[in-house]
This record gives sequence, structure tokens and C-alpha cells, in this order.
Amino acid sequence: MRPARHGMALAAPLALFLAAFFVMPVLLTLPTSFREYVPGMGITAGSWTLGNYREILADSYYREVMWRTLGLGAAVTLACVLLGYPLAFMIARGPARWRMPMMMLVIFPMMLNLVVRSFGWIALLANRGLVNNLLMDLGLIAAPLKLMFNLTGLMIGLTHIYLPFMVLMLVAAIQNIPRDVEVAAMTLGSSRLHVFTAITLPLTAPGMLAGSILVFVLTISALVTPRMLGGPTFKVMATLIYDEYMQTLDWPTGSALAFVLSGLAIAIIWASSRLTRRWAGTA
Amino acid sequence: MLALGLSLPAAARADELVVGSFGGSFADNVKACHVAAFEKATGSTVALKLGSSSQFAASVRASAGASDMDVIFIDNSLAVQIHNEKLNEPLSRAKLNHAGEIIPSAWGVDDSYVVAMVSATALVYNPMLVKTPPTSWLDLMDPQYVGKYAIGDISGTSGLQFLLALNKMKGGTLDNIDPGMEAIKPIAKGSVVLYTQADQLVSLFERGEIAIAVWYPDRAGVAADKGLPVAVAYPKEGSVGILPVVQIPKGTKKIDLAHKFIDVVLSAEGQKCFSERAYIGSVNKGVTLSEKVAKIAPTGETLDKLWFVDPDVLSRQIPGWTRRWQREVAR
Repeated sequence: MRPARHGMALAAPLALFLAAFFVMPVLLTLPTSFREYVPGMGITAGSWTLGNYREILADSYYREVMWRTLGLGAAVTLACVLLGYPLAFMIARGPARWRMPMMMLVIFPMMLNLVVRSFGWIALLANRGLVNNLLMDLGLIAAPLKLMFNLTGLMIGLTHIYLPFMVLMLVAAIQNIPRDVEVAAMTLGSSRLHVFTAITLPLTAPGMLAGSILVFVLTISALVTPRMLGGPTFKVMATLIYDEYMQTLDWPTGSALAFVLSGLAIAIIWASSRLTRRWAGTA
Repeated sequence: MLALGLSLPAAARADELVVGSFGGSFADNVKACHVAAFEKATGSTVALKLGSSSQFAASVRASAGASDMDVIFIDNSLAVQIHNEKLNEPLSRAKLNHAGEIIPSAWGVDDSYVVAMVSATALVYNPMLVKTPPTSWLDLMDPQYVGKYAIGDISGTSGLQFLLALNKMKGGTLDNIDPGMEAIKPIAKGSVVLYTQADQLVSLFERGEIAIAVWYPDRAGVAADKGLPVAVAYPKEGSVGILPVVQIPKGTKKIDLAHKFIDVVLSAEGQKCFSERAYIGSVNKGVTLSEKVAKIAPTGETLDKLWFVDPDVLSRQIPGWTRRWQREVAR
């Protein structure tokens, strides 16, 4: 009992901080999501309605944006795993003198401001951006490719921004695998591929899961990049919530959308961590 | 103590007036034309807080009667909304020396605000690419501009006002936006971009990516001064007027100082200075615009033909129109 209580005491400052500056404000917006909003007049004081949530479930536009957001989260996460795993493997298992420079390369983009990075992508992906101009000068395409204000642009921008998180998680996970286990499997006649699929991959599953949850949550809640690369025609939940709050001033609908998004995110994280634990054999 | 001091905005200083202003060249002009004169006359200082109309409205509501701003520049429809939510202090004409010089229609209901300047949504084109200046909103649909024009998203004033202008031409009313929505759908589809920031268009004009756009004469005038090849055309069907106003949010502790600032904004010198720099119409009867500005800002005939939409109706209808736009036009 004693060690557990000591652990709690150590976590107490953080818990208190989170309670005061995260849980409380979130709970304060909960009542707002049940208020009625009258355009031009504001939030009706003392009103109580489930209408905002009902509208979100009934409206095909909200459903479309919700699915789009979750799909984008899944796609960016998958892209980060596929691109990040080989990279992390190379960093963790490759020559030691390459480790620092490669880690620096991975981390370096994170030192740049998000807005600047998104602007960089705009310069590259716009109709008359670098990519399109190059392809047109080479005569490969006649009209500019649509690389912005759609899924393509957001996928590129968000994968680039969140890849470092995945790589850092995976490097730690791969480094933590005892090499003896792999060597033991090989002495028992396993092929390299079988060692990888039967031992390395499952043992790094928790790291992959942690990285995936991080990337997924960051993606579905990202605001700046979707606003800049998605624009008014390719909305995701975060931009929709921002618009409800800052544009139409309909805070009740905005906070209802926010709670739906949080609920979905928590449900998905819970389900995926259960699945992964089963795969990794720790459940 | 140190942490506390750092977290408080500079606004806490007793003699500092916090003014909410739009960003970019607008803020530069506020500094040059209003802040300088105000600081000289009162000895107080001004801190500008930059944002958009809806951001100010959201902030005033969030601080519910204890706003951190003493004066805000804001679009008239949102000023009406703030008034409807009882989040503003009424203006006292007795405290404004220049109140009598202002055109009577500039005052908001119950003196909840006063219009600070007059602009419009109009057509802006590149005279190097467009030989005959456009005369009608429908010129945008001309086959020669396919893939070479841009309109704004409804979140910006020009997008909304172009929708309203089309709606009126097609027989719609403020209670029936269907004709406008139908008419704007194909136009929005063909637009190079649905811009959300006014100055997005500068680079599009610069690179020759667009030849014509629904834009603001004042932005075009300032951009032309910097060498952008643009000219302004007011469509014969009439343009829609834009009225940025000044308003005092509820809870200011410097109500007299706030009035003094507004007085500078309304003064003939303040108005003239701002109009000349920003290519924008004045509300002070004593101001005559230079020829250069009068050619671009709404004056004379173009001013008479401007359609000023009832801001009260706008504040009630915009959220619904925005929803329809998201679902039917931008989807």
C-alpha cells in the first residue's frame, strides 16, 4: 500500500494543476453545450436543451465532417507508422555515429513554428506553387494538380508535422527490445522475417500504440494546419468548432461538437489500446 | 508576484486605453491618424489589440461585462449583436465634441455605436489583363475569366455581401436567400480560391493567377499604391456597403477616455487622415476627399447607390446563411 500512496503524492502537483487548468474549464463549458442559441440575440440564459446534440447526430453535414476527421486521423497515423517505422529502425539499429545526426533531422522541423511550416507547404502545394510549376515546366501536366484545400494537402502537411512524434516513440520502443530474444529465436532457426514479425513487431507494439495515439489525437484536434491547408471547403471537426465559436458565435453548438469529438477520441483510444494489448500478449 | 505581473496584460496601467483594431494596414492607419492625436491631446497612451470583428464579439461575450478592451472597431452587424446581448456602454453624444458633424444615419440604435467609415464590396480587376472594365456582378461569369477569378468565403464580409447582391438580382429577399444560394454555387465552384483573408488576393493578383475578384476598394487602393496592377469597378446593380463602427464594451473603467478616443476618430482631421491613407469613405460632413481617393472610395453616385443592409437582420440571419453555405456551396 505504502509505495502506491507515495506514487500518488508524487503525482499530486500535476493532478492538481490539470484539475485547475484543464478539467475545470472543460467542465465549465459542459453546461454551455446544453443551452439554446438565438442568432443575433445570444445564448438564452437558463435554457436547457438536448437540441445541439440531436442536431449533430441528425445533420448529414456534421456526420460527414466527423467521419472525415476520423478518417484523416487514421490515415495520417497509418502514414506515420509506415514512414516512421523504417526510419526509427534505422536510427535505433544503424551505425551509432549516424544516430545523432538522424535524430537531429527528425527533430529539426519541430523547432519551426507551425504557421511557418504550413506556409511552407502552401508555397509548395499552391496552384502556382513550386511542385505544380515544376511539373508544368517539365511538361508532365497541363493544368495544375489540386494539392491544397483537399485531403491530399492535409495528409501531406499533417504527416510531416506529426512524423517526429511517431519516430521518437518508436526509437525508444525498438531500443528497449532485448537483443537476446531475437538472437535466441535465430539460433532456434527463425528466419530474419519471422523474427521481425513474431518478436520485434509485437514487442514494439506498445510503442507503436503510444505513438499512434499521440499522432491520432494530435491530428483530429489540429486547428492551424487544417485552417491553412484545408481552407473553407475542406472542414474538419476542429475548424468547424472554431468557426462555431469565433465566426457564427454559436457557442452551444460549438461546445456540443467539442464534447462529441472528445468522446469519440476517448472511445477510439480505449478500443485500440485493448486491441494492441491483446496483440502484444500483455492482456 | 512576478508571475502574476507577467500574466496580466499591459492594459492594467491606469492611463492606458486598450483599443481593439483590425490588423494589417488598418492598424497602421489607426496608429497614424487616431492614436497619435489622442495621445498628444490627453497624455494617455493607447495599446492596440488586433483581431477581427467576430473575434472581438466573442471576446466581449467571454469576458461578460468586464471587457479588457475600452473601445473596439467592429462590423455594424456584430455591434448590433453585442447591443442585443447588452454587452456595450451607450455612447454619450454630450461627451463627443464632433458628434454634430457626423451624418445622422451613422448612429446605431440607442447610440450603441457610431459608424467610423464607409467602404464597400465591389469588383477589382487587373487592367493589364482586362481590357473593358466590368460593369456587372455577372461579368464574373464571362467565359474569358474561367479559372481566373476569385470570390470570398462567407466568413468574410465580401463573400456574404456578394451572396446578398446576387440574391437581390435574382429576385430573392433577406428572408429568402434561395435564389442567391443557387446563383452563387457554380461561381464558387469555379473560384480559384474561396479566400478567408482579404490579403490572400494580393499574391494571386501579383502572380497573374486571377484577373478579377470580388474584393474591397480600400484594400485595392492601398495595394495599387504599392504597385499591384488593380483597378476598382462598382457594378451597375449597386454595391453593398460596409460599415465598420466604434463601440464601447461594457465594463470599461475609462469611459471618459474612451469617448475622447472616439471623438478623435470622428473629428474631421481623424476622418480625413484615415480616408486618405485607407481609400475609405468618411462619415464627417466636413471632410472632402482628394480626387485620387474619391475615384476609389465610395463617394457621390457610387455612395448613393450603395445598399446598406439592416444590421439587425444581418446579425439574426448570418449564422443560418453560414450553415447553408457550408452545406450547399463550399461542400
